[in-house]
Amino acid sequence: MAETSPDQTAENYLQLLNQHEKSLAAYVYALVNDRHDAEDIIQSCKLTMWKQFAQFEPGSHFVAWARRIALHQILNYRRSAKRKPLYSIDPAFIEAVAAEIDREGDTYSARSEALQECLKQLPENQRRLVLLRYYEDHDISSIAQETDRTETAVYKLLSRVRSALNDCVTARLNAPAS
Amino acid sequence: MNHRENIDRSFDGQLSPEEWDALQAAVIADPELRRDYVEKRWIHALLETQSESLPSLLAETPPAPTAIAVARPFLWLSAAAALVFFCATLFLMADRRSDDFVATLIEAKDCRWAGSDLPTVEGAGLGTGTLALMEGMATIRFKSGATVTLEAPGILVVESAMKCRLLEGSVVADVPESAHGFTIDTPKMEVIDLGTRFGVTTTPLGNSNVFVFEGEVKVRQGESPGATHLFAGHSLVGATDPQPDEDQEVRRSEPLPSPGDGWTPVSTATGRGGDAYVRRGDAHGPTGGHPLLMVKHTDLAANNERRALLTFDLSSLTPAQIGDARLALKMESSGLGFSSLVPDSSFAVYGIAEGNPDDWSEESLLWENAGPLVEESLSESIARRLTTFEIRKGSPNSLIETRSDALTEFLRAHRGELVSLLIVRETGESDKQGLVHAFASKEHPTSPAPTLWIQTEK
Repeated sequence: MAETSPDQTAENYLQLLNQHEKSLAAYVYALVNDRHDAEDIIQSCKLTMWKQFAQFEPGSHFVAWARRIALHQILNYRRSAKRKPLYSIDPAFIEAVAAEIDREGDTYSARSEALQECLKQLPENQRRLVLLRYYEDHDISSIAQETDRTETAVYKLLSRVRSALNDCVTARLNAPAS
Repeated sequence: MNHRENIDRSFDGQLSPEEWDALQAAVIADPELRRDYVEKRWIHALLETQSESLPSLLAETPPAPTAIAVARPFLWLSAAAALVFFCATLFLMADRRSDDFVATLIEAKDCRWAGSDLPTVEGAGLGTGTLALMEGMATIRFKSGATVTLEAPGILVVESAMKCRLLEGSVVADVPESAHGFTIDTPKMEVIDLGTRFGVTTTPLGNSNVFVFEGEVKVRQGESPGATHLFAGHSLVGATDPQPDEDQEVRRSEPLPSPGDGWTPVSTATGRGGDAYVRRGDAHGPTGGHPLLMVKHTDLAANNERRALLTFDLSSLTPAQIGDARLALKMESSGLGFSSLVPDSSFAVYGIAEGNPDDWSEESLLWENAGPLVEESLSESIARRLTTFEIRKGSPNSLIETRSDALTEFLRAHRGELVSLLIVRETGESDKQGLVHAFASKEHPTSPAPTLWIQTEK
């Protein structure tokens, strides 16, 4: 009788979660604009996946299964009533973007490795901008104040940084493994 | 309009709502733009995902020197700048870590965490962040003095010494004088303490209920400006959305893991089977179509007593074929009551003697007409106690399997096509708001129906 003990099941789950958590998080961040909403959704996903883990077929693709659950959570997400959304999101938009992401499969680890290398090539002032925006979670206007630039200058620079990173990541992904 | 430029601006919240709507429409319509959007969005998403490791990543290696010959003095400068920057970053990180703890995790009983972004060992100081609990029960003392016990499965966001947010699950809060005004936020309501002990539950759909054990709380719902005051012994049940089910597209693929070859499943969905629960007072009418079978025993609030009746159609089997038998039930969250108020609970499964009652159907079964099935102590001639099982306090919603020789014999001795089993909780509660246990019924959208596994071949 092939039965797993509850402890074994939890271990299996935590191991898979541990392995793919970042990939799932990136998927959610790619689909959800508000960082705090995304964080809430990621946590609910982990719990829903645990509750439905009995339905996960061992050996099948964990990330694909997790993405299905995450997409459902995103489409049904209700934020706290007191926080007004900046943008209203069209479910058709989410689904179109999700389908485009799925077309490539799970490229998280390759992309993230490439990005880490690419980040190291950024000049000093751009690094600082990346930290202010993504580590300290500042918005454009406070970055503008802190760095003594106009808001337009800040988002143009940010846009340039992301384009540079994108070009660098794409080049690395397309380059034959050396 | 330049959609390509707007892609980047949308990541930083720089678009007007109209521009954003136009971008969404364009991305839906134009496959090439969609590809560009996703490619760019990946960079943004990766940076968000790795935000915590950015400082070390960016501070470690100085940028690759270009034009070395001329840049010698500048290199010095930039190395010095990098050093200053590195220290500033370290300081920032340290600052973040010791960042006034707003709470302490004082007890973590049998806890299993789904990768929470806060420390999860007993005694750990907690800053702001999220705790996702898969199993067990965790108690947090906020700096304000408020104590909150989170029951699994649940997600709690610690926001400040005076505030937390319950995304899913149940909490019981104990709030001393010093922390009046302590607030628990949920997707649909905000509960503000006015000196009390109270509980809040939030279902995966975001609906919330509040129960006040002692004192008084103030509840604000949704957008409405007014607040409701609730006093000891009272509860407020949030409006339920007509939303169908939680995870409709995650369909169940097979009924249940089979115990092995030669076992035949008979569920309450097979043939003329059925399942329902009855509640004293029948406040909500017959429950045959309900996705959950709710079971509770209490000496404190008579009308909360609930029992579940399962009927299995065994017409495809002859008694001689029945080798061994197990009953399998999938636990679910009822969203009602708090498990911290109920000890480890034991349940008994009774076999109902043939012809008792003859004519119940899940469409019409009520406490009122269930006759001998709802007697305080069941008569031996009507119901035989066949087997028992236990559910521990705070345990996850797992699959319950129970067997006994008495169950097998009962099924073998049965001559009719239908057999009925009654599920009764034997453990009471310490407070009226104790947990209601629930099992998936045959109407449950994602979980398997109650199932008898019968060994038909050795």
